[in-house]
Amino acid sequence: MLSVRFIHSINPKPYSIPATTTHPPTTPFVFNNPKTLKPRFPKPKPNPLTVRSVLQWNRKPQLAGDTPRVVNRVNYTVVEVLNGDCRLDQALVRDKRWSNFELLCISKPRSKLPIGFGGKALVWLVDALKSRQEGCPDFIIIDCPAGIDAGFITAITPANEAILVTTPDITSLRDADRVTGLLECDGIRDIKMIVNRVRTDMIKGEDMMSVLDVQEMLGLALLGVIPEDSEVIRSTNRGYPLVLNKPPTLAGLAFEQAAWRLVEQDSMKAVMVEEEPKKRGFFSFFGG
Amino acid sequence: MASLRTLQIHSMLLFKPNSIWGSKHSEPPSFLVLLRPQFGSTNSARINSSCTPSPPPKFVLRAIDASATSAADDPRPHDQVVKTDPDAASTVKHAVAQLRATISAFPPVVFPNIKRQVGSSFAIGFCIATTFWVLAVKFFIGRRKSRDTPPGSVADLVRRGQLRSDRRGITRPLKYDDPFNNPLVKVGKSNSTVEMCGKVYRLAPVTLTEEQQAIHQKRRSRAYQWKRPTIFLKEGDSIPPDIDPDTVRWIPANHPFATTANDIDEDLAQNNVRQKHGVPFRIKAEHEALQRKLEALQGEQKLNKLMIDSSNAKDFERAFKSHPKSAERGDESFLNEHAGNSKATFPERPPNSSGITSSSEEMQNP
Repeated sequence: MLSVRFIHSINPKPYSIPATTTHPPTTPFVFNNPKTLKPRFPKPKPNPLTVRSVLQWNRKPQLAGDTPRVVNRVNYTVVEVLNGDCRLDQALVRDKRWSNFELLCISKPRSKLPIGFGGKALVWLVDALKSRQEGCPDFIIIDCPAGIDAGFITAITPANEAILVTTPDITSLRDADRVTGLLECDGIRDIKMIVNRVRTDMIKGEDMMSVLDVQEMLGLALLGVIPEDSEVIRSTNRGYPLVLNKPPTLAGLAFEQAAWRLVEQDSMKAVMVEEEPKKRGFFSFFGG
Repeated sequence: MASLRTLQIHSMLLFKPNSIWGSKHSEPPSFLVLLRPQFGSTNSARINSSCTPSPPPKFVLRAIDASATSAADDPRPHDQVVKTDPDAASTVKHAVAQLRATISAFPPVVFPNIKRQVGSSFAIGFCIATTFWVLAVKFFIGRRKSRDTPPGSVADLVRRGQLRSDRRGITRPLKYDDPFNNPLVKVGKSNSTVEMCGKVYRLAPVTLTEEQQAIHQKRRSRAYQWKRPTIFLKEGDSIPPDIDPDTVRWIPANHPFATTANDIDEDLAQNNVRQKHGVPFRIKAEHEALQRKLEALQGEQKLNKLMIDSSNAKDFERAFKSHPKSAERGDESFLNEHAGNSKATFPERPPNSSGITSSSEEMQNP
């Protein structure tokens, strides 16, 4: 329980990066002037609700009206901790299902830290997390923003292992190769990869690179292969962990297996290639 | 009802011999006769005209009229019809109209009808009342059941439409002890197939070897020469003497983070991160500053002028301003305090309140 491991995950593709979704979208279609929103036909009593419905509710969900909202549980971030507005334990958001799983938000989208300061602050933070009274966490997983920018440099500062998440397309693989090179330059040698959004039917039709092709191009140990699954999006939108889905989904099982390999410091020895047609019995013709 | 039924029987009994003897007139008008007394008269006329006139049909007609219509006892129209029978249909029509007129002339005698329908209407009313009663009981039972579920429970939320009911299947977590003996992932006997979610997948062994991995690492080390930047400098800044120039990351002057003010004390931040108990530093500082101000005011006997003016309030203002306008205002007031700083230099280099952090660039966090 007390083994310390700093995990650093890299997402060359913006598909699974929460940071891209937390930023408020640009709102060119939001009308601030209510006069422009009035309908042309004169109404006896202008209802403000009709004005609301004119707004693009899908672009600005905070204006969408009566839809029940999920309460944001992030009140404090690391910026507040560094600033002295709260303590570290107050900024940790505990998961509802597992009490020993906690989330720490680094910053709100608008708050800023000095560029050279982020890496140092992250190292202090990791040290503080390790020296907590509750005990040292088994894993500290730092989600890295996409691309090779200041955020990447900040995120890899306290890391000593890395999980590279990539999709089997050529642009992602080039980016992943560069990221791997930079990680190795920084001294992080223990890099494993997860190949995301794999479609066996496309691989069979030779429209997609197989996992073994990806491995041949990058030369990294495989931690997991996640098949493309619509349940991923569904569970994300519901805010429910994919691995807890019942009935279990293919992607959820793959994630779970990958997590166990991470715990056991193992890697994949065989990969799923394609779906094998089920052997049909003699009476299957008759519906048996 | 009972009377009607007996009448039907009567008519059948009486008409049957007719139909048997005269096959021409074997159409079944008897029930029509029974139900619609207006046509009954015409029918009777036909019967009278074609068949041997016999008194029983006449009697039947009368009886029918008596049972079905309110104007029962008047024999005149029938007699008239019988008399004018061989003329034509117009006569019949006339007779019908006359009959109607006669009926309408009579006072409405409805009592016998009501008396006859009392039984049936009571039954209908009883049925309706029972139905309503059953519905009401069901409704109340349903309400009581819904009251039994505590507000906020999953069932309650589903009922109110807050939760989708199909989500309830995933509320129970999957539990199994041995991660390498997952019952949901079945590896085939020959280790060449795996069954997951009811589908069988073929397995292919991983062919990556240590040598190949080493070759890739060597290739990358040649391709990418990189040192992680340790210092971030704006264009125009001078490099500190003890720093490798390769580890400097140059931030363009028009970068959004390069222009923002930077006032964070590193030592203070480090202490803040490590603080485990007690009041956070900033909250404590604000409280102490307020306390001091209050004491000073009490000492000067100026309690009635207890107001926080803007210049004093700045002392315990937060270092990180979420609002850009307030940040600018703070910087301006700071500038006003320090007379040495000219306003022309303000946009390029905002002053450091702490003065400890050398690199004035800021970044957004990872």
